[in-house]
Formats: sequence, C-alpha cells, structure tokens
Amino acid sequence: MHLAGYPLSALLGVFGAAALGAVLLYILKLRRRPVPVVFSPIWRRVLGDRESSKLFSRLKRWLSLLLQLALLALLTLALGDPRMGAATSDSRHVVVLIDASASMLASDVVPSRLDKAREAATGFLTGLGSNDRMLIAQMDANVTPLSTMTDDVGALELGLEQLRASDTRADLSRGLSFALDSLRGRSHPEIIVISDGAFPESATRHVPSLAGVQLSFVPVGNDAQNVAITAFSVRRYPLDRSRYEVMLEVFNTNDAPAEVELSMFGDGQLVQTGHLSLAAKERRAQFFPNLAGADRTLEALIELPAGQDHLARDNRAYALMPERRRTRVLVVTPGNTYLEAALLLDEYLEVTSVVPGAPLPEGRFDVTILDGGNVVTPEPRLGGLLYLDVPASGGPVGHRKAIEDFGFDRWDEKSGILRWIAPENIQVTKGHALAPEPRDQIVGSSELGPILVAGRRSGQSFVALGFDPRQSDLVLRVAWPLFILNSINHFVEEDTGYISSFRTGDVWQVPAPGPGALGWVTEPDGSRHRVAIKEGRAAYAGIHAGFYELAVDASDRPPTRFAANLSDLDESQIAPQKKLALGGSEAGEATGFSARSRHQIWGYLVLAVLAVSAIEWLTYHRRVTV
Amino acid sequence: MLNALKRAFGVDRRGAGKKTLAAAAGQRAPSSLLFDDEFQRKLESLALVSRRVFAGRMRAERRSKKQGSGVEFADHRAYAPGDDFRFVDWNVYQRFGRLLVRLYEEEEDLSIYLIVDCSASMGFGSPSKFDQARRLCAALAYVGLANLDRVTVVGASDHQGALMPATRGKNRIFKVFHFLEQLEASGVTDLQTSLKTFVAQHKRRGLAILLSDLYDPAGFESGINVLRYNKFEPYVLHMVEPQGSFAGQEGIVGDINVYDCETGEEREVTVTEQVLRNVRQAHQEYDAAIQRFCTRSHVPYFPAPADVPFDELVLGLLRRGGVLY
Repeated sequence: MHLAGYPLSALLGVFGAAALGAVLLYILKLRRRPVPVVFSPIWRRVLGDRESSKLFSRLKRWLSLLLQLALLALLTLALGDPRMGAATSDSRHVVVLIDASASMLASDVVPSRLDKAREAATGFLTGLGSNDRMLIAQMDANVTPLSTMTDDVGALELGLEQLRASDTRADLSRGLSFALDSLRGRSHPEIIVISDGAFPESATRHVPSLAGVQLSFVPVGNDAQNVAITAFSVRRYPLDRSRYEVMLEVFNTNDAPAEVELSMFGDGQLVQTGHLSLAAKERRAQFFPNLAGADRTLEALIELPAGQDHLARDNRAYALMPERRRTRVLVVTPGNTYLEAALLLDEYLEVTSVVPGAPLPEGRFDVTILDGGNVVTPEPRLGGLLYLDVPASGGPVGHRKAIEDFGFDRWDEKSGILRWIAPENIQVTKGHALAPEPRDQIVGSSELGPILVAGRRSGQSFVALGFDPRQSDLVLRVAWPLFILNSINHFVEEDTGYISSFRTGDVWQVPAPGPGALGWVTEPDGSRHRVAIKEGRAAYAGIHAGFYELAVDASDRPPTRFAANLSDLDESQIAPQKKLALGGSEAGEATGFSARSRHQIWGYLVLAVLAVSAIEWLTYHRRVTV
Repeated sequence: MLNALKRAFGVDRRGAGKKTLAAAAGQRAPSSLLFDDEFQRKLESLALVSRRVFAGRMRAERRSKKQGSGVEFADHRAYAPGDDFRFVDWNVYQRFGRLLVRLYEEEEDLSIYLIVDCSASMGFGSPSKFDQARRLCAALAYVGLANLDRVTVVGASDHQGALMPATRGKNRIFKVFHFLEQLEASGVTDLQTSLKTFVAQHKRRGLAILLSDLYDPAGFESGINVLRYNKFEPYVLHMVEPQGSFAGQEGIVGDINVYDCETGEEREVTVTEQVLRNVRQAHQEYDAAIQRFCTRSHVPYFPAPADVPFDELVLGLLRRGGVLY
C-alpha cells in the first residue's frame, strides 16, 4: 500500500494537531445548558444515588474521546489517499482530446455529437485504473485543457462539465501537439481523440510525429445532412447610402436537392425573404440588390425542412454596414452649378458655401472644397482640402507647367478617389501639370505630368486637381459626382465597399476606435474580455459567430462594431468519419478502460468514519457513551 | 389613584358602603392585570356567597376567651378593690353576703393574618403560583373585611417583608390590592425566621393563613410550628404547580446544569427520562409529607393549584369551613 495523497509526515502532523485539539476540547469542561429548578433539595435527593456512578461516567467520557480520536485517525488516513499495490511509476497517462468544433453540434445523434463525446469521455473516467492519470482538453481552433493530469475523477468530471462547443473548426494538429507536450516524459502515454472525424484532409496530413504514443479514436455521429451559409457580405450604394446590396453564398453539402427558405433581418427587423432551390452539392452565390430598411446590422438565416439539416450553427450569418453620419462640407466658390449639383446627390452632406474673400464660418468641417483656384489658410478645423484647379502659389502643390488637350493616361487603380470612374474617357482643354513633393501620392497623371495629387501638409490631408473641371467634360459625366463623393470619402474615411466579416477561429486584427493601449472586446453573448492594443489594432481570437464590439479605455469615441461568421466550407461538411488516419497510420480503438474498481481506500475510510459516527450517535442517545 | 378609588367606592363618610365593589371599579382608572374588573366582580359574588353560607351569624360577634365587657355571663369572682361597682352581683350579696363580681365574655372581632410567601420559587412556572396566591389573599381579605374582621396582610420570604397593618371594613379592599401589587417574588424561603418575626410583632392572636409553596430548605415544619407554638390558628394554603405539571421541568433531557431558582445552587446532571420520573415522584412525596404533617398537627390544609380559578378555590375553602368561621 502507498499514499497517493499527502505524505506520511504531513499526515502525522495533521493528526497530531487535530488530536491535540480534540483532547483539549474534552479536557475543557463542556458548557452545559443552565436550567432553573424550583427546589434543588429534591434534585439533590434524587441524584444522590447516581453519585456512585461518577467514576464510571468519566470512563465513558474517555471512551467517547477514544472514538473521536479514532475518527480523526481515519479521516487523516483518508487524506493520504492510500492505494493498494505499487506506486504510480507504472501508471498510464492519457490525454483525451474532445472535438469541440462547430460540427460537433450536429443533431444527427440525440442530443448532439458533443454530448455523445462527453458520454464517451465519462465512460473512460469510470474505467480509469487506480494508478492511471488523465487530462481532458477541448479541441477547437484552440486547445483548452479542462483539467490537469490527474486521477481525481471528480476533477475530471468537473472539467467535462465545462466542455462547450465553439463556432470554429478543430485544429487537430494543434491538439495533438498539446497532447504530446503534456505526455512528454510520462509513462505509458496515450491520446484519445473523440470527434466526428470531419477534419479537412490537410489537417490529417500534417500532424506531429506520434512515435511512442498510443493513439485512439472514438467516432461520434451517424449522418451528414447540412446546408450552410458560407459567405455573407453587404455594401452600401455610393450614391444612395440608405440602400445596400447583399451577397449571400449557400452551400448544399447533401447528396440530394434542398429547398431553402431565406430570411434577412436588418437591425433586428425582417427586411427580405426568399426561397432557394439548391441542387445536390451545389454552392450558389446570390446577390440581393437595392435593399433598404437596415442601418447597421444585417443577419441572414436559412431554414430547411426537418431532417434535412443537422447543423444549425452555420445557418446564420452576420454582417455590419458602415456607419452613416453627416459630413460637414465647406465650399469656397464664386458659384459652380456643377459642384452644387454633385453635392446635392448625397443627402448625408451638410454643405456650407461662402464666396472667396468672405470670412469663413465658425465651426469644424470635415472637408473644404476650394473651387476656381481659390485658397485658404489651412486650419485643422477645415478638415481635408479639395482643390479644384489648384493655384501655383498658396496651395499644397505648385505648377510644373501649363498643359492643354490632355487626359488621364495613368492613374492609381487602388485609390478610392477614382473608384468606379473610368478616367481614360475624360478630356481636358487646359490645365497645369502639378509638381508634387516626394511623399505625395500621384493619383492620376497625363503624359504631360501629374494632374491629380493627394497628400498631407502639416498633418492636414489634401487632394489637388490640376485643372478646372469646367474646362473638361468631366462635369458632364457620371464620373463627376463620383469624383466629388469619392474625394469626400477619402477625407472622412467612410468606406462604401464590401464589408467582410471576420472568420471565427482566426486571430483578428481589429482597428481600434481611438488611441489607447488597452481595450475591451464584448462578445455576442455579452461577456467582456480585456485586449491589448498595439499599433492601433487589437488582436483577438473569437470563437463565436455574431456581433462584437471593441472599446478602448480612456477614449470617448464610440466602440467599433464588427461581425464574425463561421464561413467555413470544410466545417460545414459534417459527414462523420469512422476511422481516423493520421500520417498514413490509422488510429486504433480505445482499450483498457473496463469499469473495474479503482481500489481507492479513502472512500472506505470515510465510510468507516460515518459508521463510527453513527454508532456514537446512537450510543449517545442511549446514554451509553456519555 | 387609590384615593380616587376610595372615593368612588364610598370610603368617604357621606356615602360609606353605599356603592358596590363593581360599581366603584367602573368609575375608577383601569385596574391592574392582577386585580382587574373581572376579578373584582368575582369578589363581589364571593362576598354574597359567604353571607349565604354563614347566614344567621352576627358580624363581629365572636366570643373570645377574654372576660370583659360583653353581655353574656361567664363567671363570678371575688370582689377586689378597684372593681367597678356596676358589676357587683347584689343578688348574691343579698343571699350569701359575699361580694362577687359578675364576669362576662368579651366580644371582639377576629384578627385574620394573611401571610403570603414572597420567595422566588413562588414566581416559578406558568401560571405563576405567586399571582394565584395574591388573588387568593385578596379574595380572603375581602371576605374577611366584608365580615368586619381585622385583616392584616404580610409578605414573607427569608424575613418578614412588607406589612399591611390591620384594617377592617370592606372599603379597605383597595388598600389590600395596592399592597399586594407591590409585592414581588424574590429571595429565599425561610419561613421559620420570617414567621418568628411575625409573631413577635403581632401579640394579638388570630387566624394565620399561610399561602406558600413551602419549598423551604430548612424544612416546612418549623415555619408552621412557629405559628402553632405561639397560639395562632394556622391554616395552610399550599400553593402547588398546575395540575399535571411538573414544576416546569417537563422535557429537559440531556446534559444540563440545574440551579436552584432561589439559592442559585448549581449541579451538573445528565437528565434522563428515568431521572425525571424520580424527580416527579419526589415532588409528589414532598407534597404528601406536607399534608401528612398538617393532618397530624391539626392544621387545616388546603392545596391550591396555580391553574384553578381562585374563586373556585375560595368557594371550596368556604364550604369546607374553618377558615374564617
């Protein structure tokens, strides 16, 4: 017999202290309940006969003390966790990796694959040998140990209760690496993978070497009916930001056609419904143009008849639209009908016009448009400066030379200023080739020199056009209002492009809403987590689909909202695998977990304590031991 | 308040005795819990019952053993210088030539001494024996006052405590109430000492009604004997616990520390049902011993359980006789 718990020296110390306390309590006189009596001589007369038995009564008290000491000894021995047989050097060490990816929430087995996996792990616990030790870990995009390497079945069961599925794929390679690290240097190492086996082929090909480690696989799952949303995007229309367009991709992983009912919710309200007929294994991307009724959040939901879809987690997708706000624009112009018309197109512009030479109005502006070669003294409150026909002096860039009959021969296609514009079609009568400084961005140029330049001067952004638009056909084209609105967006950094959501399981680099080193991420369920912000971005690995928020400490700016989706083709293919082949070898079945006795004696010791306590209780009430 | 009660009850000379006790109670301030209106109504009825029981007897006309100025002839004795000539029996002188003086039995009112045990044990248990004793005392005092006897009330514990001097006339009942309300159950029982003080202070002998639980560590006999040996006519009203009760000690089982409510004497004891049975039996034997002693000593004995209505007890006493007449 050996002690698996506290060592003998510690147990002796504990027993000595406890026994001393018990003896002291017995030596000290018990405080008895005072009861008044009406005439004590009567009691004296009655109890006089019992005086003779006082010595025997004392002996019975000592018997009670001996019983208490025996109880203490049994309890102390139980603390030592005595075991029959040899020490733990020959014991097995088992790491149980439980797949907690999204596919484990499939309901092809009742109630879910994850619960079946939990049941299987519980079976291993009951069959764990008295000298064996086990570690349970949850394996999704990350590996989360749910217990230590222990033989404490209670702790292992507690760890199993904490098992939760996530909206991510399982990273088998990472899980196996963790298991190998946990088993390094331990005797009889074993890894048990409990999973539906729906790993991508690449995940099973690149795994660490499992030499010397017994690998077992416990499959869960029976069926594989699933239709999933694999992509979901939304964008606003540039010229009408109250309306938007949605791209939705749906994948039918089944071998049979599927009829899908689609619902879209904007800001929690139903804004669109539809019906999709998908062929077997069909993956269809569908656009829903010209939608309205949502301002911030968009949520897509697909529904199928019962039995045709076993995984509900990939039936929802989330997207956020860029926040809309009014842009304050100051226009310094002697009068320009084309410019005024272009600015009328966006109802979210708040335009203030002044004539050149007039005092500038008070207040802050996001953008100042300087028309007709006018200039102002740059101030931060004027926001970005858009020069139409920038003058040779007083503006951010000078003139290289005067040019005539030119157009855009080269342009920066990545620049948002020329987004959705075909610059090659624009013809200009006369203007100037600009002389940008080295760090300026040449957005467009003709063969004769740069004609559209963007950059910063003293921290203030500018866009300078080298010609008067009225000296070109630009103002007659659709490109004209686009150019004006793109330029304004360039300054206010309001994106009208497709908004991609993050994918769960990845490490996200989320732009922080303001300066700061620490922030909070609020998960879709409302829980908050501390994050560090470095270089204006917070790194966060989210595992649940939905809408998140990132707030920065000590910043008065509103938090950044973003969406996360499962959007994983591989994870949505939930066909369970009965075998697990890793690196060319196949995992075996888990063995050696028969439901035999664990031969832990402490339980019997505690039972003995209870029995002795019961005996003492009974004898106490029969007045035998007191 | 007491003066107001006296006036309401007709103590003033103009309306003396005209009003009943209940009528007076209706006009005075709210009475105490002990002697409330209900209690006073019962006293009134007790007084009526006592008149029926003792109908035909003259009030305050009890022949005493003293010879004096009464109307009923008792004896002759030889004339001595200084005797009142009016009592010389001239007929005898004419016939026998001897000067003899006629002696008459002196008529005097009865002195009733109500001695209430005020030791702490009297206040033990619920309902309280002390309250019962005070009610009984008040009732007996009222009956006595109504029959024009001289009533004295004494509180006793380990010494003679409060004393209400002798008084007569039922108008004085509120004085008795007031006195009894001032009494408290405290101290140790020592009847011998307290009654010795009592007899030393009261030379006029009479009926001494002792209302006590007789839990005297020195023995109950000595206290009663003090009254007997000093020519008082003792009557024992034994205040006992409610019927079926066991001195408040029901259900105390286990390791306890019993202490005497009077002396504070402590004793650690493990109480079992057997011990409780023995204690109960010892109490019964103690009560039986008191009764035996009283019977043997020709001292009227009457047990008064604390839970029996006082008026029933008083009626029982009156019917049994020997207390007041």
